[in-house]
Amino acid sequence: MTTSVVLEKVEKRYGVFDVIHGIDLQTDPGEFAVFVGPSGCGKSTLLRMIAGLEEISGGALMMDGERMNEVVSSERGIAMVFQSYALYPHMSVYKNLAFGLETAGYKKAEIEPRVQQAARVLQIEPLLQRKPKALSGGQRQRVAIGRAIVREPKLFLFDEPLSNLDAELRVQMRVEIARLHRQLGNTMIYVTHDQVEAMTMADKIVVLNAGRIEQVGRPLDLYNHPVKRFVAGFIGSPKMNFLEGVIESTSADATVIRACGASIKLPRALRAVESDMPVTLGLRPEHLNREETGGIKLADLQVDLVENLGDETLLYARSPDGQTINMSLAGEQVIFNGSTVPAFFDIAHCHVFGPDGTAI
Amino acid sequence: MTSLAIFSKDDSISPRRSRFVSLLFHTLLMVVSIIMLYPLLWMLSASIRPEAEIFSSTSLLPSAIDLSSYWKGWTGLRVEFGQFFWNSLVISVLSVAGNVIACSLAAYAFARLKFAGRNFWFAIMLGTLMIPYHVTLIPQYVLFLKLGWVDTILPLVVPKFLAVDAFFIFLMVQFFRGIPRELDEAARMDGCSAWRIYWKIMLPLSTPVLATAAIFSFLWTWDDFFGPLIYLNDMNNYTVQLGLRSFVDSSGSSQWGGLFAMSTLSLVPVFFFFLFFQRLLIEGIATTGLKR
Repeated sequence: MTTSVVLEKVEKRYGVFDVIHGIDLQTDPGEFAVFVGPSGCGKSTLLRMIAGLEEISGGALMMDGERMNEVVSSERGIAMVFQSYALYPHMSVYKNLAFGLETAGYKKAEIEPRVQQAARVLQIEPLLQRKPKALSGGQRQRVAIGRAIVREPKLFLFDEPLSNLDAELRVQMRVEIARLHRQLGNTMIYVTHDQVEAMTMADKIVVLNAGRIEQVGRPLDLYNHPVKRFVAGFIGSPKMNFLEGVIESTSADATVIRACGASIKLPRALRAVESDMPVTLGLRPEHLNREETGGIKLADLQVDLVENLGDETLLYARSPDGQTINMSLAGEQVIFNGSTVPAFFDIAHCHVFGPDGTAI
Repeated sequence: MTSLAIFSKDDSISPRRSRFVSLLFHTLLMVVSIIMLYPLLWMLSASIRPEAEIFSSTSLLPSAIDLSSYWKGWTGLRVEFGQFFWNSLVISVLSVAGNVIACSLAAYAFARLKFAGRNFWFAIMLGTLMIPYHVTLIPQYVLFLKLGWVDTILPLVVPKFLAVDAFFIFLMVQFFRGIPRELDEAARMDGCSAWRIYWKIMLPLSTPVLATAAIFSFLWTWDDFFGPLIYLNDMNNYTVQLGLRSFVDSSGSSQWGGLFAMSTLSLVPVFFFFLFFQRLLIEGIATTGLKR
């Protein structure tokens, strides 16, 4: 059972405050969509509006072409996994799973196999008679997902389900949810503030900021071609370096940008730029290199701090004109704090943003 | 070396001193509790000593055990005392049921449902806490008189089913607000109506506050003297408290032995009721299913 979810100019107002400003979005059947953004960007509100827990102030929510604004949550064919899991503390795991079906008026004989099936999928069969307080964080998480599965919904909603787990378990559950999605094939919408979760799980990432969509696309599209400075800074870890610069000259097939005390020639024309216009140069730490073969020279950097992680080495450095630049070098490197390191970059991985933050 | 010596010296002194302080403290507490308990013990001893000795002896220990007061008390009035116990029990149990059901429903509405003027009505309800019972007594009496309810238990019981006790409502609202809203939302996603959420989620998670309300309802109704005095006239309808009052006669033929014996008996239900419900008070389970 897969379903498409379409948002048409969806708005949310609390009194006079606009929280969501007319969002248009299409989620295809069977897709794993991830809403990502900083806290307060409206991603949870948007999810709760789809769930029917918040009223939609304007626009339409369509599921499989049907308008859902006025349909109560339980009849939308949706199941939701909450951040706090929201397991009923006074019921056993079995009862927690069965509760929704009981409420819907299913008979005991119909409920039993569905609960058992969900328990099998999530490997929580031995826990069925326990109360939630006797479960670990990861087990509670599984029960919460199980409660969603038994109802055989058309659409799964996840509201930051992993944020209460420790790092190791988070990775494990991330993989399990991705596997579950492959196994069930349902449409899923997942909210997180963690861009790593978004990158690893999503078919489609929706980056939200201040109640607006900044960019929608596949994970690598967002990584390689961010259309906004915000998206560029949000996707990718460690964060992209942003260097202030100005346009030195521009021609039909080349643009020269002055940044970090160097003139950098890009072999392409940029849209709507003129000389002396301030721009921001975006370079990902992993696209900076200290070998000459690495491309164009940016500057000689003063290294403030070196972090050796084994598989990579992180440098926190400053350019000659005092801008902070981080570098991520592959493998182990012998670099000392306070030393000077040349930085080169590949022109293909250079992003330029105009004064309003859009990519040019 | 010196610091070591000082430490060992301190160590040898402090336990002895704390033992002395604790001894003093406990003695003081025991004296205070005896003072507190004295009237109760006096009543107990008065109920089992010969009636002539009640006001003449200062000792708590009776010269002889004489249980005849219990028999005299039980049968000494026009109506057997068991009838009063029965009346009190009926009123108290109905009041407990009424308070728990009605107040929890009202509290659920105030805590969780959205309706016009919710805050206004909540403030009004809290305002009723400040009105003394005696202020509304006369209009209330007139109302019940017109309804023909005087000399029945209805004026004492029916209001309890209409959530008149703002104190319990307030107590429960505070408790319900502490139950995570996500549980309601999860239940809504599971297809629950507001009624079902109340019944299946809120009530089972609220046993501590329900037990508190039940205990206090029972105590207050069982001990209530004023309400029954106003509304109950026929001796067959009397509660225990009114029955006890009947032992004291203005013409001078009071049965003190019976009074104290029945007073002692009247404590028994309260004792057991408390014993049973206080277990439920101890631990709330409301938040244990959630990771905080």
